Amino acid sequence: MSTGAPAGTATTPPDVTDGDRTDQDGAAPAALPPVTDGGVGRAVLLLLVRRALQAVGVVVAVTTACFAIMHTLPGDAAYRIAAGRYGYDFVTAASAEAVRAELGLDRPPWQQLVGWWGDAARLQLGTSLVTGADVRHEVLHGLGHTLQLAGLALLLASVLGIAAGAAAAHRPGGAVDRLVGTWVVLARSLPPFVVGLLLVVLLAVQAGLLPVAGSGTPAHAVLPALTLAVGLSGLVARVTRDAVVHVRSSEYVRFAQTRGLGAGAVLRRHVLRNVGTTLVAYLGVQALVLVEGVIVVESVFAWPGIGHTLVHGVFWRDVPVIQGTAIALALAVVAVNTVVDVATLLLDPRPRETAVVA
Amino acid sequence: MTVHLHRVVVRHAGRTLVDVADVHLEPGRAVTVVGESGSGKSLLAHAALGTLPAGLAVHGAMSIDGVPHDVGDQAGRRPLWGRTLALLPQEPVLALDPTMRVRDVVAEGAPTFARDRRAARRAALERLAGLGVAHAAGAYPHQLSGGMAQRVAFAAATIGEAPVLVADEPSKGLDVAARDDLAALLRRHVEGGGVLLTITHDLDLARALGGDVLVMREAEVLERGPVEQVLTTPTHPYTARLLAAEPARWAKAWMRDGGPPEGSPLLVHAEQVTRTLGGRRLFTGLDLDLRAGDRVALTGPSGSGKTTLGRVLLRRHPVDSGRVTHHDLARRRGRAPVQQLHQDPTQSFPAFVPLRAALGDAVRRHGVAPGRLEELLGTMRLDPGLLERRPGGVSGGELQRLAIIRAMLLHPALLLADEPTSRLDLLTQEETLDALMGQVEQQGTALLLVTHDTSLAHAVADREVVLPGGVTTPTAVLAGR
Repeated sequence: MSTGAPAGTATTPPDVTDGDRTDQDGAAPAALPPVTDGGVGRAVLLLLVRRALQAVGVVVAVTTACFAIMHTLPGDAAYRIAAGRYGYDFVTAASAEAVRAELGLDRPPWQQLVGWWGDAARLQLGTSLVTGADVRHEVLHGLGHTLQLAGLALLLASVLGIAAGAAAAHRPGGAVDRLVGTWVVLARSLPPFVVGLLLVVLLAVQAGLLPVAGSGTPAHAVLPALTLAVGLSGLVARVTRDAVVHVRSSEYVRFAQTRGLGAGAVLRRHVLRNVGTTLVAYLGVQALVLVEGVIVVESVFAWPGIGHTLVHGVFWRDVPVIQGTAIALALAVVAVNTVVDVATLLLDPRPRETAVVA
Repeated sequence: MTVHLHRVVVRHAGRTLVDVADVHLEPGRAVTVVGESGSGKSLLAHAALGTLPAGLAVHGAMSIDGVPHDVGDQAGRRPLWGRTLALLPQEPVLALDPTMRVRDVVAEGAPTFARDRRAARRAALERLAGLGVAHAAGAYPHQLSGGMAQRVAFAAATIGEAPVLVADEPSKGLDVAARDDLAALLRRHVEGGGVLLTITHDLDLARALGGDVLVMREAEVLERGPVEQVLTTPTHPYTARLLAAEPARWAKAWMRDGGPPEGSPLLVHAEQVTRTLGGRRLFTGLDLDLRAGDRVALTGPSGSGKTTLGRVLLRRHPVDSGRVTHHDLARRRGRAPVQQLHQDPTQSFPAFVPLRAALGDAVRRHGVAPGRLEELLGTMRLDPGLLERRPGGVSGGELQRLAIIRAMLLHPALLLADEPTSRLDLLTQEETLDALMGQVEQQGTALLLVTHDTSLAHAVADREVVLPGGVTTPTAVLAGR
């Protein structure tokens, strides 16, 4: 990108003098070019390109790691695959050789690796060594369920947390603030499986309002999502409270008030957006923690999410499934980061890093 | 529109912070309150506006165009904000929403904003154009220079056409050119029949505004009258002291006409030094020699590269071309011959560490002689008990004097003082610089003083390097996009 020519006058060498001189700074503002924010669109584009490259890099790294795992596992891959296909009792040297020839396992490792990358590039993730099912299908199925769960949890946590945080910030040190503070500590100190079991006992077993576990109806998603949301809402409340207190005590909010803006206008025009810049970044991080950290909750509630898929893949040494879930999770991280970065860039015009501006 | 304040009293925890019998604000005549930090001048203005923080006990009466108001009922004047009473804030860069374009911030204060946004936006553009900053309408606050931000804040504060304008330390952090600019804007408001109450510790601003001046100290008004009378022939001894604290009137033992003694050893030799920043040339082909005991001021408007030049001469910033050589300024154990004093001492001390520990680190690291710290504390009239506190628990002037002690403990051969008093009021500035220069004189330290205050530069330095500044437009900030 070309560097803009320095505007205005040629620089004169400063003299070493005793005399004073007055400067004509700002004498001719009319001649100045308009100040624009220029490249927000461009910055977004650059960011998308960078994230896309990152996504490619992540996929290459994950597939290479899985390839390495495949090759360092003890035993002959052809025999294992044949066993997966025909059952252990029916594996013969001939069937193993047939698999070897069919899949090109007799080629040099680097050729196999290139082929492996090619498959990954076309998102052909192969079939499960155990069930024989299409890995892409399995992963998408699991990812879909996990995203449902994480999305619902994030929504619940945001609604609960932002409402509680904003209420607490209304009067720092007041009763509501202390109550929310207690909630934050409680919600964070209970591990998710305890919260999950408590909710099962209270809402499913005692009150009979919701199904205990499983999937299939929207009602099934409520308990696991609530379990995740409880812990998260405490953190969201804490971050919201601090951000709101900080913004409301800022000079620009005070200036807006003394210019005659009503409380509602100050909230809509100044507080929300500035709190948003903090909150979006935070929720992005939490979304990642959710996607990757739901395994425990998925286990408690028998939720067929991607954590579930991954656990089973690891348990059965099902390398294609592990690879598929790893790629899906890695891409989810990249995707969430991209969404957060774009949202932050649009909310906050201040250049956040030189790479975006330059 | 006239405003009268009667018997305004502000108390906190048994202490009286403001006790002012009466103030009359009339259209067409500026009223300026001057005084040191903590004199209560800011509180008086905010009591009138109704913007005091909760927790203060406020009493008094005021009338706005004959309509009585209870000063104690701070919320009572809220409906008048923006339309009758307006505040021009301190540090305009902080008063503008960082996520909002300048024209939108200005437009939202327009009386028509709620009904007709387009008309409000037009009004905002007109007002910005009237102030010569139309080209900044689409910019965000972080892209503005200090002077431009001040004009934008002025546009935002006055678009509601409030006849009463209160300016609270509006010249804080502005260089001379930007301050003169601001004074012209404020005078325009007065000449248009507006009421103006300005709070400042800048006597030059008070002179530029004209009208009446009130001198406040320890919650009370000591003297009042026309500016030209009070600030030339003061009747109260405190006003006389305040006037004597202006650098142009200093008469100190350490002041001198010549330079260091002939044949003082060379410390820094700069040859054909050039440096650009963000695509803008700050200085080209600069030659400068610094000898032991030299006192050189680096002056120029904000953004002209004064601090950068200082750090280049200390070899703490690289140069684009040219050469800076140091002679016998190398750092060794027990010897740190180059020291720097920063503008804001609260940022150069760790916030949660007691001052004794913060200074003790320097003492131990450099093997400072025992008793030296106590000796310097005595010279600077600082109570050793202050050292048990944290940086937030002492005043700005005291903390800057502690920073001076930290630097001078090490007998530096060269000291870079970067706007060391620009955040302090006149009396504190005098006390702080007197303390600093006493040590500089005694130790024969070479001093590089970065300042935008030319009268201060004249008082302190033997020589000046003036950086012209060129064009400080945001285009330079944005170069490369």
